[in-house]
Amino acid sequence: MKLKDYIELSTANLWKTKLRTFLTTFGVIIGIGALVSMLAFGTGMQKNVINAFNAMELFNYLMVFPEPFSPKINAEDLILDNEAIGSFTKLKGVEAAFPDIRFPAEIGFRDKKEFSFIQVLPAQFADTKLVQLRAGSVYEADDAGSMIISDSFLRRLDIRDFERVLGQKVRLSTLVLDFSEFNPLDLVGLLGGEKLPLTMKNYELTIVGVSERMGMGGPSLLRSDVIISPTAADKMKKITMTNLWDLFQQSSRKGGYSLVNIKVSSPKYVDSVRSKVEDMGFRTFAIIDQLEEIRTGFFFMDMILAAIGMIALVVASLGIINTMIMSVMERYSEIGVMKAVGARDRDVQKIFFFESSIIGFLGGVFGLGLGWVVSLLINRVVNYFLAQQGVPAIDYFSFPWWLCLGAVGFAVFVSLVSGIYPAMRAARVDPVVALRHD
Amino acid sequence: MNSQLALKTDKLTKTYITGKIEVTALKDADLSVKKGGFIGITGESGSGKSTLMNLLGGLDTPTSGTIEAEGKIISRMNKEELALYRRYSVGMIFQSFNLIPSFTAQENVSLPLLFAGVPKAERKARAAEALENVGLSHRQRHRPSELSGGEQQRVAIARALVNQPKILLADEPTGNLDSKISHDIAELLGNLNQSRGLTVVMVSHEEPLLKEFAQGIIRLRDGMITAREMI
Repeated sequence: MKLKDYIELSTANLWKTKLRTFLTTFGVIIGIGALVSMLAFGTGMQKNVINAFNAMELFNYLMVFPEPFSPKINAEDLILDNEAIGSFTKLKGVEAAFPDIRFPAEIGFRDKKEFSFIQVLPAQFADTKLVQLRAGSVYEADDAGSMIISDSFLRRLDIRDFERVLGQKVRLSTLVLDFSEFNPLDLVGLLGGEKLPLTMKNYELTIVGVSERMGMGGPSLLRSDVIISPTAADKMKKITMTNLWDLFQQSSRKGGYSLVNIKVSSPKYVDSVRSKVEDMGFRTFAIIDQLEEIRTGFFFMDMILAAIGMIALVVASLGIINTMIMSVMERYSEIGVMKAVGARDRDVQKIFFFESSIIGFLGGVFGLGLGWVVSLLINRVVNYFLAQQGVPAIDYFSFPWWLCLGAVGFAVFVSLVSGIYPAMRAARVDPVVALRHD
Repeated sequence: MNSQLALKTDKLTKTYITGKIEVTALKDADLSVKKGGFIGITGESGSGKSTLMNLLGGLDTPTSGTIEAEGKIISRMNKEELALYRRYSVGMIFQSFNLIPSFTAQENVSLPLLFAGVPKAERKARAAEALENVGLSHRQRHRPSELSGGEQQRVAIARALVNQPKILLADEPTGNLDSKISHDIAELLGNLNQSRGLTVVMVSHEEPLLKEFAQGIIRLRDGMITAREMI
């Protein structure tokens, strides 16, 4: 029997029981639809995160810490200062290196006060993709009176028209350690959060730009609501701790920064730059190293989503088994006739395998279509509601070619597996019994 | 085996086990049919006629004894070889016609060609020719339900012969037909036997028919051959 004959005969057989074939196929359509939209969501999320990383060029960053790369290096000799930054900048592929300085301050805008961290960022870095502007522009290099504020801070104030805040004043209240009132015996109390030897200093800056904060809580380098220039930061009295621990470490450090970010022009330079920086003795960290971990994380997420999607497909495969067994029983004498005129067991088996795989193929193709339509609708609805929150529209679902082909292939595979028992039963039909006229 | 013989059995025995009871359907049947011969088999129901036919047709396998057909020992064949024997060497027709109801006459007749891997156009042509040979060229596109009993049996004969086997096994082909039609069918088998040299083995209750067309009659009783008559 030829392939074309099998397809023709099986299609004709399925067509004889249109309603039953349709209902069984519909089960597969729903199963594949569920599986496909789940996996498209997982893939879409991964793509969005990776794209967001790429858009902010996060894979182009290398973090350098003033800590020894190996135990052989003397920690005393490692100073992460402007001189070190200068030597990083000379390395091949390095676009820029900048210190990561953040300090706590209270942001006061209109009648809202919020405690947060201020990011100090040289203008040349603020002018890269690191800061995505939603309105206005970046401050000038030595502009001490300007700042960039995040859109999420404004949104918390219920401000949606970002253009209107440009030029308005924001009050920053920095914390200053006032040792005149500090008694070393109060150290224990200090740790308990009591009687901090702190006072506040107020400064006023003008908003020149509104930045977009990275969504979905991703590992952005900029986690601050306010970005100011080093010139502005130098003029402020402040403590540059990012946590309480820094407070106690500061005395032991012989100057220098606690973190320097290096930006390379392309991720391909990360490894060579890193080995040079490590040769200088510094410990490094690159987000690109996390890529595999991110991928692994998404793999597990995809597996969980797939497991949910599989439930519907398992039910659908039970439907196929049921339909095919019914079909074998109904066509018992027909199978006997086929054997009497020379059909081999495997010919009969193949006919039933073709029938179940046609169900699977149609279910796969239309299920893919259903999954696509459903995700399109969900995407529309979600984007519609998020647009009201000021979140820009993105595609939450992704349909790469391997998902489309895989969905149809998997549907056929599941149908073939479901067809094993019925096809074996059909092949085992005894023609003598099947043809007995009673 | 004598090369003049189309079929030969030697001590052919078939026993069925139903539950714990052993039933002997056929016992030590020795039989030979000449090439181009027409043999009738008669006997009461349960005498083993159908069992014998199923064994000769390669649908069933004997418990002991041998069957030779056209020089091949089919009692030693495996399932796969038996399927090919049924496909190319022997045609079978039955009391209940055993046509596939959803297929047209032509599609029913093409079925053996389908399994033989014959291309579609050739299948169509050969099926049409086979139907013409049984006088049904005007019924090609009719389904079994649109055909009379006699016409259905003719379709079955066309199907049995479409792969041009040398042997035709007819298991009570007239059992569901009235006497006039029964005679027509038996006559058709007689003509095929005469004109094409087709070896025919026909089971029937109707002895006058067998006497008119067959060259010999074998009587079966309780699974044993009790008489052989030459006509």
